[in-house]
Amino acid sequence: MSEINFYYLEEPTLSNLNRIFVSADIPFVRLSKFLSKEEVNFEMKSQRDEKIGFYKRHVRPSHLGDFWESKDFLSFLESGTGLTLKFRSSQGQTYGPGDYSLLHSEEFERKRLVVVYDFTNNWNIEWGGHDIYTSPEKDPLICNRDAGTLMLTLLDEGDYSCTRYVSLKSDSKVVIDKVIFDLK
Amino acid sequence: MRKNNTISAVEQSPFPHVVVEDFLDDDTLDLVIDALAGLEYSFSESDLFSYWASVKLTDIDHPALNVLREDLGDRSWRKEVTQAFQVSKLSRIDMAAYVYGQGDFLLPHDDQVEGRIIAYSLHLTPDLEELDGGSLDLFEGRKDGTSKLAKSIIPKFNSLNMFEVSETSWHQVSEILTDIQRLTLTGWYHV
Repeated sequence: MSEINFYYLEEPTLSNLNRIFVSADIPFVRLSKFLSKEEVNFEMKSQRDEKIGFYKRHVRPSHLGDFWESKDFLSFLESGTGLTLKFRSSQGQTYGPGDYSLLHSEEFERKRLVVVYDFTNNWNIEWGGHDIYTSPEKDPLICNRDAGTLMLTLLDEGDYSCTRYVSLKSDSKVVIDKVIFDLK
Repeated sequence: MRKNNTISAVEQSPFPHVVVEDFLDDDTLDLVIDALAGLEYSFSESDLFSYWASVKLTDIDHPALNVLREDLGDRSWRKEVTQAFQVSKLSRIDMAAYVYGQGDFLLPHDDQVEGRIIAYSLHLTPDLEELDGGSLDLFEGRKDGTSKLAKSIIPKFNSLNMFEVSETSWHQVSEILTDIQRLTLTGWYHV
């Protein structure tokens, strides 16, 4: 099982995270080097996942497996965000050259916490592939790729997220675990 | 003035579309390109697209653009378009110019907005090649949401591409891969 970097489990850090998270326009926090031990299964086969005009990518079970449903992670998440949460789903997603998702791919979604863990290596910002979060009448939130980073974003009804089109010139791929938690 | 006044058979797969080559005569073409070069373009970007767009050209009073509006929208040409696509009467067109530079793109979408019947784009970049990107890609959308690239049209200089707007008219402009500027004049014929 993967392990959370001890730094993120200390009381002062959690208290700080909570403050940063709730103070953002779109509640958000970005945690680099989140795991001290990454137990990843890259062997599982992915499959093409496409709905034209909505998304084109490859998906598979999450790379970190049961970690996302673990008590340790839930406890960290609730302390860091101040929310009471229930795990909904996790998925491994890969965006190669020409892949994308669009902002309306999550129509009719209710309030949720979106957790993204980034495995993307050797990324060039010019290739796109960043995550975008939008909320009516707020500036969009843009999260660039950074391997080993965990991103937590609280989205309301009517808020959307997407992964920006990946350039055909990219010689790497965006690899993430995307995990959704519902609010209790 | 139009050089080509006829539309050849409309191809039906993956959805009705046609390419009219040599659409404008040389004099008009020069004047139109000069007029478009003198416009201001603003960079527009979203999750769906990245390009430079002019203001709407429908109401701009400019000699070359006035001629072009006539060439694309006069009664006899609208009748030709109507007959070629076997659609109901077309009333008016709208028009804007778009420049796609390196890295720009327009992802798959179907163009469906109330009132749009036929989409058109007049291509004004000479010598565009496959390696440059910027092709107009037509997709066959399947019921399960997946798609198949059915046709990739590399825009020829002075060619007018048209297709019927419907729930199946999935298309994209592929990413520009070289240091070129893909200039088009694009709009729709409305019901």
